[in-house]
Amino acid sequence: MAYQDFREFLAALEKEGQLLTVNEEVKPEPDLGASARAASNLGDKSPALLFNNIYGYHNARIAMNVIGSWPNHAMMLGMPKDTPVKEQFFEFAKRYDQFPMPVKREETAPFHENEITEDINLFDILPLFRINQGDGGYYLDKACVISRDLEDPDNFGKQNVGIYRMQVKGKDRLGIQPVPQHDIAIHLRQAEERGINLPVTIALGCEPVITTAASTPLLYDQSEYEMAGAIQGEPYRIVKSKLSDLDVPWGAEVVLEGEIIAGEREYEGPFGEFTGHYSGGRSMPIIKIKRVYHRNNPIFEHLYLGMPWTECDYMIGINTCVPLYQQLKEAYPNEIVAVNAMYTHGLIAIVSTKTRYGGFAKAVGMRALTTPHGLGYCKMVIVVDEDVDPFNLPQVMWALSTKMHPKHDAVIIPDLSVLPLDPGSNPSGITHKMILDATTPVAPETRGHYSQPLDSPLTTKEWEQKLMDLMNK
Amino acid sequence: MHTCPRCDSKKGEVMSKSPVEGAWEVYQCQTCFFTWRSCEPESITNPEKYNPAFKIDPKETETAIEVPAVPERKA
Repeated sequence: MAYQDFREFLAALEKEGQLLTVNEEVKPEPDLGASARAASNLGDKSPALLFNNIYGYHNARIAMNVIGSWPNHAMMLGMPKDTPVKEQFFEFAKRYDQFPMPVKREETAPFHENEITEDINLFDILPLFRINQGDGGYYLDKACVISRDLEDPDNFGKQNVGIYRMQVKGKDRLGIQPVPQHDIAIHLRQAEERGINLPVTIALGCEPVITTAASTPLLYDQSEYEMAGAIQGEPYRIVKSKLSDLDVPWGAEVVLEGEIIAGEREYEGPFGEFTGHYSGGRSMPIIKIKRVYHRNNPIFEHLYLGMPWTECDYMIGINTCVPLYQQLKEAYPNEIVAVNAMYTHGLIAIVSTKTRYGGFAKAVGMRALTTPHGLGYCKMVIVVDEDVDPFNLPQVMWALSTKMHPKHDAVIIPDLSVLPLDPGSNPSGITHKMILDATTPVAPETRGHYSQPLDSPLTTKEWEQKLMDLMNK
Repeated sequence: MHTCPRCDSKKGEVMSKSPVEGAWEVYQCQTCFFTWRSCEPESITNPEKYNPAFKIDPKETETAIEVPAVPERKA
């Protein structure tokens, strides 16, 4: 079922009516950013967009919103496009358990068709553009960035594939944002402590499974390539970089090879982030690009992000839920039912669990805070009973409105870590966090009138099926 | 050199010209790295009309916090 490359996925989307080709001429700004924002505004079933007539270019092609809806996310998983979100979650979790899937190594890749080693000008090579009006420039924001652990360079699992925002800062220079909670920051620290540059390879326009794995908060020594193989159900294809030992997705449209310059920081930003706020300007590391490879007439993929929901939220929705789910299940295998951490990359998480005794749900909330992802997110954890579907927000609201007692069930833990992009953190990177226990009190915590829960009339399930059958006639 | 719409320094350099001749040019400020295209709306290209909330003093580029901070060299 694996998609070999970006183009094969676009073709699959087109076949299912989930790719809209725009033939009319569009301006790079504001049309491209505006169209992707509009696609998200139209609902959660929007198509991907492919532009092939861009003002000022002869033959540039730009794809946006590629995974920006639930049908497109389902197709990333190779599932029918109308698969409900909760089913996508459980299928993703099942495949996550198949990790690791060994990789398949190749000697050459389609992106080797064109090689640029001198006079690199990214502004000429890529049809770059601004997506939000306050952005400080043009960004690469959906590219896989690959780097290795310098203290354990032969450890394939510690090689990292991550998605980090990069501002094009010069003809052959990028600024990069390695947030301290992310794996590449560990590699960069190792390099800078030694005073050496960190080799990186950047792959643009990849099929969506590696993009999904690269934006999944895996453990540090878990390989994104071996996870991509698990998700797609067959070995993931990789090929070596030319200037370093870094492995690259075989199906990429464009590949940039270079290195992060040790000890250098330079003004970057602002950039409109997934928090729905701009980041402000900070001094961040610089990547010097030394080589570029690309397919003939490459398709440039870009991701719009802004106030949720946008493509970014679909990209980091279910793949944020599943690691939290698995890590909570390691601690409480018989109790955890499901996790919904789809809101702003898990700044809010909702956990559905059985409760063994009074106080148990609060412990589950505490565990969520201390998972690797929770250290940078999970500002609020809502814990609900096993019969509440965390993906069904009306049910979650019902649980909060009837099960939670503010005196007993609202717990605030002061001054914990959070990603610095959280606009409410103060100082940046520090916030109080909150657990809301919306489970039914159980012994020895006996309070409230919960002995008469209302269950559905006896034949409700049969009637659901009967009504659906009648409606489909 | 072009005036940067964001920090008003006169260090905007041409980065690229449109493949279709005469459609647009892309400039980048060598002080604050703001990047703009000549065919963007005036709210982006004109220093006097650029959103005041996003204007910066060139000095800010030297005092901005480092993310991440540069670690000390280890022997």
